[in-house]
Amino acid sequence: MARNIVSVKQLRKIYGDKETVKGISFDVEEGEVFGILGPNGAGKTTTLEMLEAIRPIDGGSAILDGINVADDPEAVKRVIGVQPQTAAFQDKQKLTEIIEMFAAAYGERVNPLEFLKEVQLDDKANSYAENLSGGQKQRLSIATAIVHSPKVFFMDEPTTGLDPQARRNLWELIQLIQSKGVTVIMTTHYMEEAELLCDRVAIMDDGKIIALDTPKKLIRDLLKRGFKKHETVEQANLEDVFIDMTGKGLRD
Amino acid sequence: MNVPKDSLSDPISFRKKLFTVMVFTKISTKRFFRDRLALFFGILFPLIFLFVFGSIFGKAGNSVTFNVGLINHSNRPIASQFIHEATASKIIKIDPTVTTLSSAETKMTRGQLDATLVLPSNYGAVDANKVPTGQVIVYYTENNAQAGQTLVAILQSQFQSSNSQYIQGSSPFSATSKEINTKSLTQFDYTFSGLLGFSIVGLGIFGPVNVFPELKKQGILRRLHTTPIRVWQYFTSTMASQAIIGLISLAIMFIAAMSIFHLKVVGNYLEIIVFLVFSIVMILGIGLAIGGWAKNERQAAPLANIIVFPMLFLSGTFFPRYAMPLWLQHSTTYLPLTPVIDGVRLLATEGQHLTQIGPQLGIMAIWTIVIYAIAFRVFRWE
Repeated sequence: MARNIVSVKQLRKIYGDKETVKGISFDVEEGEVFGILGPNGAGKTTTLEMLEAIRPIDGGSAILDGINVADDPEAVKRVIGVQPQTAAFQDKQKLTEIIEMFAAAYGERVNPLEFLKEVQLDDKANSYAENLSGGQKQRLSIATAIVHSPKVFFMDEPTTGLDPQARRNLWELIQLIQSKGVTVIMTTHYMEEAELLCDRVAIMDDGKIIALDTPKKLIRDLLKRGFKKHETVEQANLEDVFIDMTGKGLRD
Repeated sequence: MNVPKDSLSDPISFRKKLFTVMVFTKISTKRFFRDRLALFFGILFPLIFLFVFGSIFGKAGNSVTFNVGLINHSNRPIASQFIHEATASKIIKIDPTVTTLSSAETKMTRGQLDATLVLPSNYGAVDANKVPTGQVIVYYTENNAQAGQTLVAILQSQFQSSNSQYIQGSSPFSATSKEINTKSLTQFDYTFSGLLGFSIVGLGIFGPVNVFPELKKQGILRRLHTTPIRVWQYFTSTMASQAIIGLISLAIMFIAAMSIFHLKVVGNYLEIIVFLVFSIVMILGIGLAIGGWAKNERQAAPLANIIVFPMLFLSGTFFPRYAMPLWLQHSTTYLPLTPVIDGVRLLATEGQHLTQIGPQLGIMAIWTIVIYAIAFRVFRWE
């Protein structure tokens, strides 16, 4: 049994008189992909931000790799990588320089090409970030988040707004990161994505975790309760048709 | 404030933190020189102002001259001394054909004269305290008001120094003999130091005020905040990069002013550079404070304008402070930009040394502490 790399107890966030995160508790095992699902406004992003040590914790505790997040935010920042919802970079900055800068933020000097190769952007090394497509920006964003070999990788809705090819490519990247022993904590709106990638998922609604288990177990439980889909399940869906006809190759 | 507190055991060494600053400085400087818009506003824009103001105030060599008529009704020696000095002055060009006020008036209406100076018959009379007194009357036409007022200001400042000599009790007749310092009184010297100030404000305040809210909007600062980088590291790299860019921009202005408008730099270049870097860093603090505090452009722009425009006008950027009423001159001495503009003029064109501009450096040091204390307190990553 892997150790818990993240341990959250009764975590709270209050904005004014509104409690957006209402005392949630969960553990994340080292090396797993942990998904946080939920509708908009459920408190997913706020939860991530508190764990990333950029949002003050108003109640409860979060321990990450043995570090109390509230006590030592800088130590937490050294062991985590963060991919924000929208990847944005300053203009007129070469991809190599962006990698160089993020590495420098950790006091590190790296070979930028090595990281660009990992996210298949080595042929764009000397382009400026503003000339990248949405999917390429997301990949660059992942590269910037792994320059310091983080132990925990946070991704906030990484595939929102991407075309099916770019999305599949990103899934492969996430699996690649996981295969290196990095723990991934991600939020998403796409259930098929969670089902495919996540070892366990927490479903959040209105600031609370209302379910937490493996995707398979959650589905089994639902079926046990006598749930029946209205339509018969086809062996393929429209996305399968789309990918079959347009191919898996990346378009950007 | 979202700025995390220092942890006691800090595993990223100070050397590595300086490495962070170095890399950020290098890359943001490079980025500036690739950005055409930034180049335009940072370097070309002040240069355009330099050409506009330079051709207005820098015509005929490096000094502005006023064509004046001079009518003397006084027969006292101090009056002839005044005439002698005025004749020697490069600022005032006396038209010898003018002898009466009416002929002067005709020439002024035609625009051949900028103003007429009249020494009344009691000019130079000794008052009860045995101090010679007198008032020069400056006549000017409505559309030449600026020239007239500037002349009054020039005379006023000249008299001020001689007045103080009288009060100290030194000889009244030698008093004003060396006071017309054409070297330091050329209009272009004032204009140039003002434009340097304008350029420093443009880069240091409008730079961050425009850029930071955009970085916040796109979440770029927030992303940086998830790394261990500290506010001081980010500020220091911004400072260093602005100092490099600013020095290049100001050097271009110096070269243009010296080669085209015959600006004579008599000061020590190293001292000028040190002073300019200090100025850039101080003024940048205002930009960092506003841009760092503002959540978006709608907060940043009005605040920047409220602070910058009065400061630009009151600190002598576009017209010299000596043309202001005295009370205004006194109260604007302590604005952050005033010592910058005065200091650079004193160093560059009046040949003074850093050790001689203590008051300016003092005001700047106090402002630097105040501004950065505020900037660090109000900084927000998003």
